[in-house]
Amino acid sequence: MIIDFRLLIEDHGTSTIKNQKSTIKNRQSKMASLVSHPDEVRVVSKRFGQGATSIDRYLELDGYKAVQKALGMQPDAIVNEVKNSGLRGRGGAGFNTGLKWSFVPKQSPKPKYVLCNGDESEPGTCKDRLIFEHDPHAVIEGVVIAGLAVGSHTGYIYIRGEYRYLSEIMQKALKDAYARGFLGKNILGSGYDFDVYWHGGAGAYEVGEESALMESLEGKRGIPRVRPPFPAVVGLWGGPTVINNAETLASVPPIILGGAEWYAAIGPPKNGGTRLFCLSGNLARPGVYELPMGYNLKKMIYEVGGGIPNSRKLKAVVPGGSSTPCLTADEVDVSMDFDSLMKAGSMLGSGGVVVLDDSTCIVKFALRTMKFYQHESCGWCIPCREGTDWLKKTLTRFHAGGGLKKDIDNIQYLAENMLGRTFCPLGDAAAMPTIAFVKKFRKEFEDHLEGKPCPFEKEAAIEQLPVMA
Amino acid sequence: MADAPKEISLTVDGKKVTSPPGTLLIEACKTVGIEVPSFCYYPNFSLQGACRMCLVKIEKMPKLQTACTTVISEAMTVTTNNEEVRQARKAMLEMLLGNHPLDCPVCDAGGECELQDMTFSYGAAESKFMEAKNHKDEQQWSPVVYFDRPRCILCYRCVRVCGEGMDVWALGVQNRGVVSVIAPNKEDHLECEECGMCIDICPVGALTSGAYRYKTRPWEMKHVGTICTHCGDGCKTTLGVRRAESGLQIVRGDNRDKSGINGDFLCIKGRYAFDFADNPERLKQPLVRKDGRLLPATWEEAFELIGKRFSEIRDKDGQSIGVVGSTRTTNEENYLLSKFARLVLKTNNIDHHRTADFPAFAAALAGKTDRTASMRDVFNAPAILLIGNNPTDQHPLLAWQIRNNVRLHRARLYAINCQPIKLRRQATNFMEIPSGAEGKVAAFLAGDDTAADALTSATASRDGWRQLREKLRTEQNLVIIFGSEIRGNDLPTLVKFGLAIPGAKFVCLGDYANSRGAADMGLYPDLLPGYHRVADAGKFHEEWGKIPSAPGIALPAMADAAKTGKLKGLYVVGANPVARLGFDPFAFSKSFVVVQDMFLTETASIADVVLPVANAYEKSGTFTNTCGDLQLLKKAGEVSDTKPDFEIIVRIADAMGFDVRKLVPFGTGTRADMGQSRGAQSGEADRHAVWLEAHGLEPKMSPFDPMAILDEIQRLVPGYDVSQINLLSGNDQHTNLMSQSAGSAAHDGSLIAPANDDLFTSGTLGRYSRALNSVIENRHLQPAETEVAAD
Amino acid sequence: MAVLKNIAAIAKGMSITFKEMFQPTIVENYPDGPGPLRGAKFQERYRGAHVLQRDENGLEKCVACFLCAAACPSNCIYIEAAENTAEHRVSAAERYAKVYNIDYNRCIFCGYCVEACPTDAITHGHGFEIASFNASNLIYRKEQLLSAAPAHLGANEVFNSADVAGGAPALPVPGS
Repeated sequence: MIIDFRLLIEDHGTSTIKNQKSTIKNRQSKMASLVSHPDEVRVVSKRFGQGATSIDRYLELDGYKAVQKALGMQPDAIVNEVKNSGLRGRGGAGFNTGLKWSFVPKQSPKPKYVLCNGDESEPGTCKDRLIFEHDPHAVIEGVVIAGLAVGSHTGYIYIRGEYRYLSEIMQKALKDAYARGFLGKNILGSGYDFDVYWHGGAGAYEVGEESALMESLEGKRGIPRVRPPFPAVVGLWGGPTVINNAETLASVPPIILGGAEWYAAIGPPKNGGTRLFCLSGNLARPGVYELPMGYNLKKMIYEVGGGIPNSRKLKAVVPGGSSTPCLTADEVDVSMDFDSLMKAGSMLGSGGVVVLDDSTCIVKFALRTMKFYQHESCGWCIPCREGTDWLKKTLTRFHAGGGLKKDIDNIQYLAENMLGRTFCPLGDAAAMPTIAFVKKFRKEFEDHLEGKPCPFEKEAAIEQLPVMA
Repeated sequence: MADAPKEISLTVDGKKVTSPPGTLLIEACKTVGIEVPSFCYYPNFSLQGACRMCLVKIEKMPKLQTACTTVISEAMTVTTNNEEVRQARKAMLEMLLGNHPLDCPVCDAGGECELQDMTFSYGAAESKFMEAKNHKDEQQWSPVVYFDRPRCILCYRCVRVCGEGMDVWALGVQNRGVVSVIAPNKEDHLECEECGMCIDICPVGALTSGAYRYKTRPWEMKHVGTICTHCGDGCKTTLGVRRAESGLQIVRGDNRDKSGINGDFLCIKGRYAFDFADNPERLKQPLVRKDGRLLPATWEEAFELIGKRFSEIRDKDGQSIGVVGSTRTTNEENYLLSKFARLVLKTNNIDHHRTADFPAFAAALAGKTDRTASMRDVFNAPAILLIGNNPTDQHPLLAWQIRNNVRLHRARLYAINCQPIKLRRQATNFMEIPSGAEGKVAAFLAGDDTAADALTSATASRDGWRQLREKLRTEQNLVIIFGSEIRGNDLPTLVKFGLAIPGAKFVCLGDYANSRGAADMGLYPDLLPGYHRVADAGKFHEEWGKIPSAPGIALPAMADAAKTGKLKGLYVVGANPVARLGFDPFAFSKSFVVVQDMFLTETASIADVVLPVANAYEKSGTFTNTCGDLQLLKKAGEVSDTKPDFEIIVRIADAMGFDVRKLVPFGTGTRADMGQSRGAQSGEADRHAVWLEAHGLEPKMSPFDPMAILDEIQRLVPGYDVSQINLLSGNDQHTNLMSQSAGSAAHDGSLIAPANDDLFTSGTLGRYSRALNSVIENRHLQPAETEVAAD
Repeated sequence: MAVLKNIAAIAKGMSITFKEMFQPTIVENYPDGPGPLRGAKFQERYRGAHVLQRDENGLEKCVACFLCAAACPSNCIYIEAAENTAEHRVSAAERYAKVYNIDYNRCIFCGYCVEACPTDAITHGHGFEIASFNASNLIYRKEQLLSAAPAHLGANEVFNSADVAGGAPALPVPGS
């Protein structure tokens, strides 16, 4: 039985993202329009909307200058520069990028690799697509600089399979880069060889996890690997591999050109620079905004996002993509950086800010989230495979009015027993938001009991995802 | 300067544990008796970390860690039994039991299911699951493999044993998430070697045996670990036995007793082909030829007739009786037959179906000790040279040992064969030679460069051969395994080559379960037990008495002698020379032929007296496998009114008026098996049976005890003086091949008739096995490609 | 006077006797009582000879799981299981009991088998007249233990077809 590829292209994200249409055709014909706000600090998005997919335009806009500079630096210097800039992984984990690069051993009997994680599948996240769409060369440049830093000669840019039209753009960019001598043998006349290959995914969220990404790239099923050893020591085909998110790599050239101090100063200590925040949900002005790290979430919702339309009130915010625990309306006065959100009991994650107003049924939202994780679970380990399925079934029955009081406790029990017990963080990503929903919105769950219809919908009809045999 | 690596100390549940570096935590815990549960972890296979049952708390690590993927480190502190760990285990089981169907009453694994056991141990029996369970279709993948897909817990053990272990790769995983399934290589059925390892290794009842399906429950059977009676590898197979009308019926065979040399391994024959034992065609009464037809008779009648006729023929001319021994009777029976022929029948005309040139092997190793490799050595050797034979088909355990040695220890395999055998996939070096050129290989390796002329080809250059020889000469502790293609004078040549390599040991491959035992016990016209030449029998004269010293005639010569009327009597024990060696059945029309066998074979059909015998699964005794490992057989089944060969031989001697006390020491006798007792699960025992056994009052079936003659064997046959205690405890003991007489014992190479069986053919026992035949028929209906699934 | 006292004492004693003579009897008048049970009365939970039940479709409930045999303290249950096929379906699950014997020479009527059964197949009936002169008669086979097949085998035609072909009514007949 093969997975019906079409089903995976259908709307995966929460139904509240307004910018994205749910068919390929529509995506192809209408590229997302760009938004802006005065508070933005354009580092990664500097070249958006200026035709930088063309290599000539890219070069006009300071393209490939960072590589030139990096070629003249010592590898350790590059690593330190990135370390001191405070750049942390933009894919969700938030690990200091320079520190990660420093784990790669100096000597290695096997070749070293740089792998760009372009498998953006976290619901609520739509930033890497803009980078691929508007500034693909920045990613290529970032990959090359990372290679110089760790001593690698080969890079892979893995783009999510559903982003077919964006892959075409990237492949063209690669072709142009090769043609102009920025890739291949003796790049920029430096004597250093560097090859970069594009690779398309096959439709799974799980391969966003770095070891599953490597497995997928190697042509195997996208199941994560046993860790340790970690990719920096044993990665692709056994060789040391650096894996970074596309936005992280696109941030590297500006750091090399602008300097670590400048970048670090933009955000709070240890959380340097800017990031692309994807604002979606019940907002007047949803879109992707590049704001400094540490920007206040409340301000982000009401000023940058334009507040909640239709005179409705804020109910909850998911700050960093659906894997992060939600924050209630009382908790949104928080600085959007990795450490502050961790203290607040959530995570910065991938920067997908989903805003829910008081017309949203939390139970339905929880169900929709769980459907995603149940569908995307790779099936390797028991708690995630069985836990997400059980939770989805319980939440479905619950939302349809068949819930019992003990179900609420059971949902919490299952989620708590998945947390920290799974083979990879997908289980945690399914468990944490569920725990938060039940804890913070218990009353809403209780309002669905005793066969009462969902207070937020006249009909309790649930959109059904087709079930795979 | 390099010492043994320093052992690492850690603390588990307050207990101090020391283990070598690189040990997995789950294994280290086992050494102090702490069992960490797991489904997906299985020793010697790749690590999974999939089931999460082995989560334990390790100090300084934030989350619980899987013990099966954690390597021990100095001063690690581990807790395997606190509240958090217990809750984690309970939760994993609860989640697993969510979609797992409530099939226990109808599932064959009930009573021996790891999921059941863990649920009872870790308290997840009460379910909170109120939803609809996912259903998947049940399938039958082969006549002997059923797959109940809903029960599968996706531990991936079957995938690994089929791939990494057997190198067949017939199972894989399809789909993802909760709809993941294990799938066979041919959409809805399997094309594989049908070893059935997937069934034994499956912790639940997802993969079950078609041969055992629905027959009974594990606690209703008595489990007897005995030695398989099919090929010469000597695997331990566990037979499940229960009382039936005809005696004790063997209901299933598997590998739950993993204490044998084979460990986890068992092939299709050891596992399924036990049911020849209750084939309805089995003889249950003696038959005597009257007026040209074989008619049922009593044992007394039969023995009287045999005694009378054999005595007559012997008294007229002792050299006119021939004896054909068996390759699947026990060592004790073979020794007894050898003694009987010489002492009672006063003839040296004794032979058997030879499948390897063991005498030449013994002679080549004369005076050397410790030069034969045991089956365990094959797994541990740093390098192996394999000449001829196709172990995957003919010696499956040997192939398993070689494959896993290469996989787990990076051993070097040098394979030389006239066919591209499947083991070439593990070979560091594979040389293909023309058929029949094995002798040239031996010559070349021993130093004769001109022999390379016959060996060079497009794929194997002269230089390649020279490099190979140089490489081999540098190997330490090389194990040299050769098939029956190396025989006669080629054998000492090869041995000469091997003896020059320090630490090298040999394995001479013979086919049937006790071919080696038959050879060791002297079923040869010119050799006594232990390869003593009949001409200078020395101590045998003292022990046995007066025995003839002129060599007798070999098997083919017996047929000729019968034709000319020189041979007037033939005693065939468990052999079928008419079908297997092409004997002319009419050659014996004028002789008095006695055959003892299980079935009315082609040879039995020409007999004057046919005696029904018990097979190896129905008696005690010992077998020697082709490597020389001696192992104990335990009586499992029983079919009424058959007798073991041992008893028949003694009774014939008695009927001939010979004082049997001079033939065989009586020992304590054999008592009846009291049948199954209830297993530990029910806590009940068949109290009457237990009482009888405790007081030594079980019915006595025979005054003869094969173990008593084992003492004599151990005294007289060199190399067999192994530890009897170890042997009787069920361990394999390696015998030393020690031939006293040096010099070539050149036998005619044409006397060797290898069986050339493969996994799915067997003319001797397999053809009576319904299970084996159903698999063979199925393969004919869906013909497999010539390459194995792995290719 | 003593005579009168004695007569009075006897009369007092006899009055109880006469009173009781006309009360209804508690003693069961088995085997001379009315009805098919000949006067014997049982509590619902009396443990008599076993009955193998059928489900609402008329299929046997017993799936030959061997749990009753395992629970039996007397080792008196013997079972052989077999597979249900599309052509010949006996129970609702994958397997059924091809052979099911209870040796009433050994059975102690403890009821452990009934407690153990996961499908409520084996139950106690009220049969108690099973004495025999011949021990072999006391090994009851499945046919003797099975409850009667219903007149129609339910509305499910899959299970019905063989019987309908043999003349049974295809649909439930009112009153049956």
